[in-house]
Amino acid sequence: MDVLAHLAQGFGVALQPLNLGLAFGGVLVGTVVGMLPGIGPINAIAVLIPITFAAGIPPASALILLSGIYYGSQYGNSISTILLNVPGTASSVITALDGYQLTRQGRAGAALAVSAIASFVGGTLSIFGLIFFAPLLARWAIRFGPAEYFALMVFAFAALSSLAGKHLARGLVATGLGLLLGTVGLDPHSAVPRFTFGQVRLLDGMDFVVVTIGLFAVSEVLLMLEDTEKGRMTVGAVGRITSMAREAMTTWWVMVRGSVSGFLIGVLPGAGGTIASFMAYATERQLAGEDGRFGEGDLRGVAAPEAANNASANGAMIPLLTLGVPGSATTAVLLGALLGMNVTPGPLLIERHPEIFWGLVASMYIGNLLLLLLNLPLVGVFVSVLRLPRWLLMPGVAAIAFVAVYAVNTSAFDLVLVVAFGGLGWLLRKLDIPLAPIILGVVLGPLMEKNLRRAMALSDGDWSVLVSSPLAISLLALAGLSVVLPPLLRRWRVPAGRPRTS
Amino acid sequence: MISRRADRAAGIGLVLLAVAVVLATRGFRGAFLTDPIGPRAMPWLAAGLLALSGLWLAVRPHPDRDWPRAPVARRLGVITLVFLGYAALLQPIGFVAATTLLMLALSRAFEGRFWPSLAGALGVSVLLYLLFAVVLGVPLPVL
Repeated sequence: MDVLAHLAQGFGVALQPLNLGLAFGGVLVGTVVGMLPGIGPINAIAVLIPITFAAGIPPASALILLSGIYYGSQYGNSISTILLNVPGTASSVITALDGYQLTRQGRAGAALAVSAIASFVGGTLSIFGLIFFAPLLARWAIRFGPAEYFALMVFAFAALSSLAGKHLARGLVATGLGLLLGTVGLDPHSAVPRFTFGQVRLLDGMDFVVVTIGLFAVSEVLLMLEDTEKGRMTVGAVGRITSMAREAMTTWWVMVRGSVSGFLIGVLPGAGGTIASFMAYATERQLAGEDGRFGEGDLRGVAAPEAANNASANGAMIPLLTLGVPGSATTAVLLGALLGMNVTPGPLLIERHPEIFWGLVASMYIGNLLLLLLNLPLVGVFVSVLRLPRWLLMPGVAAIAFVAVYAVNTSAFDLVLVVAFGGLGWLLRKLDIPLAPIILGVVLGPLMEKNLRRAMALSDGDWSVLVSSPLAISLLALAGLSVVLPPLLRRWRVPAGRPRTS
Repeated sequence: MISRRADRAAGIGLVLLAVAVVLATRGFRGAFLTDPIGPRAMPWLAAGLLALSGLWLAVRPHPDRDWPRAPVARRLGVITLVFLGYAALLQPIGFVAATTLLMLALSRAFEGRFWPSLAGALGVSVLLYLLFAVVLGVPLPVL
């Protein structure tokens, strides 16, 4: 078979000692950098690109290094998310919901193991998708016009507001706040400054790192301060690797579903890991019904977004490699790197530079495997961070949060903002209002608006454009269902006998 | 008697916020030809959601959770001021000094003893400085 022959050739490239070493180094550096919020994979890759040029590393090897960093930083980010509730990327916000609860219950080891294994499963399955469906999916992604993107985002918001919290009204409050925060800044269409209060720093809009770290990390420190005795972190014993793996495998189907949906969503340029992980979480929460302890520490709540996130990262490679369209900020940086090496991604890439395409595919697989082998044994080491006394751990979390925020724009104004968001997050938690939809609003709100306005501009103000394709109609219908169905299901299920545990 | 004041107040606050948003968008004007719905549509959508959900909270409030008592509230207030002080002092006195002060104050709030807290604060600050400024090249302010 043609594909297998190419793949073998790819593994031949990836298994060369230099490339293997680069993959390992990339994964290692990526993990460390990813643990520090505010730096993120984009900056890590951007810093390392000039080095790869300077070192004269061949393009295929440089790509291997960069994608290793990409994978590593995603997992590293999951570590600080699960252990410290400091999510550094939008997609890891979802992992924080159940991951941090598990940590508070002394099950950080299990959460980290599930995260590592789910990332591996998501990465591996989606690589098969990449190998066999790349050209097909590239065509599918092009069919997503502005109206379809708008419908997809409405679906994401609807699913999350109805599922993230215990109560739809509170989910809607969060979605409204998020959408509002997303409009802050200079409107790119009309150059009108919106809600900037004359602050030049706000013209660029709310930086999502500032919002996230404020809402999650800073408010967590404030909550902890309320009762310095209660809620003391218990650190459970970390089991053996085999038992951790066995526990993680109870979420096998969750991982598979997350991988498939994450991969498909990841193929869509712009949607990427955020929608993928949010949707996977919402789906699993819905499927689990009353059995789930989602939001209170459910392993499935970690497995789904982690698998989806990694799968979508690989899905995002499809439009990059086959169309030359970067689907995310990170793939945009990878595109820059490719162009710098005189490699133009596009339909002809696979034919002209098979060693790059197949070498990259093979190295993705190896990167994923290395990530698992490196991090599963280290789970115990990571968890031991929690054994620090609270008078050292919580101030440390605050310091990391502030330095991360400062690192994004080197702006002291952002520090004031992050404190304000910390206070807001504290208040919202007291009111049982979920935080995740706010992040989704800040990240996706501007994209949703852009697509809505683009669709309306193309149709000359005719609203029917939003329901003019079967794809858009079905996505909007799904959005409606995801709001209406859960309360109905709850009503049907409860009288059916199973006593509600609360 | 269960108090439900928090949800009521939050609901009313959200409705007021929605009104304020709509009032604030009065001046937003877009380019009419290429942009049929203009820069107001999205804020209005958000305001609509806030008004709707705010009304819902105000009409069907849940019982309050525990709100902090006076001494705890004072501690939260002090720490919030410390955070703001950090934002103000970071650039004037440099990263290591400001972060040490921040962590020391927090450690004391978490009932750490003075000297171990100081040592921990200084250690973590220097470590973060090395990591972010030296290794990763983030331009952190130096004294």
